[in-house]
Amino acid sequence: MMLTPAELEALLLSLRVSVVAIACALPFALAAAVWLSHARFPGKTLVEGAFTLPLVLPPVVMGYLLLLAFGTRGPLGAWLLAHLGLRFAFDWKGAALASAIITFPFQFRAIRLALEAMDSGLAEAAETLGARALDRFANLTLPLALPGIVAGAITAFAASLGEFGAIITFVSNIPGETRTLPLAIFNALQTPGGNVEAARLSALSIILALIGVALAAIAQRRVTRLIGR
Amino acid sequence: MRRTVLALSIAMLAAFAGAAHAADKAVVFAAASLTNALQDIAAAYEKKTGVHIVNSFASSSTLARQIENGAPAGIFVSADTQWMDYVDKRGLIDSASRRNVIGNALVLIAPASSPLGPRAIDAHLDWMKLLGGGRLALGDPDHVPAGIYAKQALQHLGAWDSLQSHLAPAEDVRAALVYVDRGEAPLGIVYLTDARQDPGVKIVGVIPEDSHPPIVYPFALVKGASSAARAYFAFLTGKTALAVFARYSFTAK
Amino acid sequence: MSAEISLHHEFSGFVLDAQFRMDGGVTALFGPSGSGKTSTINAIAGLLNPQNGRIVIDGRAVLDTQAGISIPAHARRIGTVFQDARLFPHMSVENNLRFGWRRAENPASEDEFAHIVELLGLEHLLPRKPAKLSGGEKSRVALGRALLSSPGLLLLDEPLAALDAPRKSEILPFLERLRDEARVPMLYVSHSLDEVTRLADSVVVMREGRVAASGPVFDLMSDLEFARASGVESYGAVLDAKVRSHRDDGLSVLSFPGGELIVGRIAKEPGARLRVRIRAEDIMLALEEPKAISANNVIPATIAAIRESGGHADVQLAAGNAKLVARITSASLKRLALAPGMKLFAIVKSVTVDRNTQGE
Repeated sequence: MMLTPAELEALLLSLRVSVVAIACALPFALAAAVWLSHARFPGKTLVEGAFTLPLVLPPVVMGYLLLLAFGTRGPLGAWLLAHLGLRFAFDWKGAALASAIITFPFQFRAIRLALEAMDSGLAEAAETLGARALDRFANLTLPLALPGIVAGAITAFAASLGEFGAIITFVSNIPGETRTLPLAIFNALQTPGGNVEAARLSALSIILALIGVALAAIAQRRVTRLIGR
Repeated sequence: MRRTVLALSIAMLAAFAGAAHAADKAVVFAAASLTNALQDIAAAYEKKTGVHIVNSFASSSTLARQIENGAPAGIFVSADTQWMDYVDKRGLIDSASRRNVIGNALVLIAPASSPLGPRAIDAHLDWMKLLGGGRLALGDPDHVPAGIYAKQALQHLGAWDSLQSHLAPAEDVRAALVYVDRGEAPLGIVYLTDARQDPGVKIVGVIPEDSHPPIVYPFALVKGASSAARAYFAFLTGKTALAVFARYSFTAK
Repeated sequence: MSAEISLHHEFSGFVLDAQFRMDGGVTALFGPSGSGKTSTINAIAGLLNPQNGRIVIDGRAVLDTQAGISIPAHARRIGTVFQDARLFPHMSVENNLRFGWRRAENPASEDEFAHIVELLGLEHLLPRKPAKLSGGEKSRVALGRALLSSPGLLLLDEPLAALDAPRKSEILPFLERLRDEARVPMLYVSHSLDEVTRLADSVVVMREGRVAASGPVFDLMSDLEFARASGVESYGAVLDAKVRSHRDDGLSVLSFPGGELIVGRIAKEPGARLRVRIRAEDIMLALEEPKAISANNVIPATIAAIRESGGHADVQLAAGNAKLVARITSASLKRLALAPGMKLFAIVKSVTVDRNTQGE
């Protein structure tokens, strides 16, 4: 199955958007999970709920909210444009942002669970051996949470490959810039006679998904062995 | 056990059959750009007759495919002839009922706060200068009727080739409107009717009528429509409805 | 080394109120479960912040709530060996051992590292991951890891509690070697009298959050108050003995502060030191020296104190510089009309010597 330039473009864009989305969301998910596993304050449950919200909101609503907040006139978008030169509208970075936020709950929850499952006695032992907080985090918490981090990232990556509603609403459907595989499939379906194209792109998506699942299984096994379980 | 399953199945079938014959409801599949007008007309009809009208708004392409796959619509209103032809060719509508009821016009819009003033849209217009590096928002020219009309107009004006890589193709016209309203896109091409309803945008030009095929909205009854749908169809194409359409800037055909 | 510990903390349903001193060597913190031993260890390690407390080690105040001093756990230079070993599962044994070593202010030299590895028998375990270790091996690694952080004080919170009897007797000699060679003062928490009598130089007895008794092990074990305070059923004198000679008939002669003892063959050279125990119920008392009797050990002694309770009497005896305890019935006490100051003979039915030091 040789790919047309348009199909290759959609595939590469999907990969780029998803990889960037997951990689950028990871440190935030890690920070949020670490914070909430230690902090105790009134309203903590609400904050946890907020971090899980993107899973529950309809993607189109999410896309619209992103437009309001991160559009060039939005409070966050204006600041980022002025200080970091970051533009999200009609740009692959907007697609990445949408994917990152929508799949954030997957990473957040997986890491949170991994941290909760950790034996706090190990942290005490490390402390008595002279390890300060940052030292314990880098040498104990992080390595032991790695299976959870990997699992979360893979789940998020898979979900991100399929993200549609938020992306098309936030950054529209620009070939080469925001037309990821799902948006390309949508386009093909909307055009009379585009069924064949839609089928090809769907097959491509399925192959991608299967490769992803296989890689995920390998990665999980490696990491679990690494931490000695 | 088997007798219970049989009894349950019969009960369910009866319930659904009953629902299908509910004479008190009509389902309308209509293009998104008619949302406000059709909601007003439906409200007026419901008040007058007590019959419940269900409106389902989406892009014409989506609706046509849904009807093709057996969706229970009684009336179909498309935003262009292409998608009405699509369902007509497949024998899904009552061809005798098909008629062009209203029309629309395309306008060039900018955010309300834009410094741009009104101007003539002709072959001399410097689109790139007006866009100033931004993108032109419009319904996706691949499949959204408003986008298709816009593309035809731009081709006629000789501007399509240079503009092609500076577009923001939106899922539907309403999304294109939002992009301009939010200032994300400096310019957009939408229906006159949409532009009139959004105080966040202003019209800076009218796309010449002769640069594209006439924008008409074909109305038709779907094959097998209920009597309630037929009754509502008459109302939809009658004087009261036309007055509502006119209020929203649709032209009569 | 000297340390002063003073702690006061109110938990819900339990009050910890303990004061004691440590003077080098092995101090055993002894008492039943729930008596506050682990809380004490946690407070000293810095894992628990008591409401009131003062912990001074070698003149350095590690905690002083009144002066507002509380050195964080990672800076106290106090090593802790936990009941459940708590080895880091993602690191090899070697990296576990080097964890504290890398973070020590004055890390041990590579030679000392190798010495401790050899002392604890860990050479062949170095590349393994903790999941592949037995319970006993994990305990030894935990010991080594804490030692290699060059602590000024080593806390051991029931390090053998999670092991079965064979494992325990496998590890106890390592602990004895540590005590004799490593020169690090240890606070050893245990509810096992066996471990205490084998390892401790001094004992602190805890009961319901308070220190009920404390003192050098040789004195405390034959102290009548100790029996009541610690609530142990079977107790007796612990003696500091030395191998004098081996006889041809398969017996060995030990000398101790109260004279000589004849025991079964000991697998140690003359001059070697060891501890022996004589359980209270293994001593009979006679007012006249018995002549034709099967017991090998008849020791002249003077009654130092008597305590009666519930049909039994514990009689503390002074034999030379040692103290022994004998348990007899109240009836016998009356029949012989025993009283403090009387001279009599202690007939020792059996001397408890640790299995590992006996001959085949």
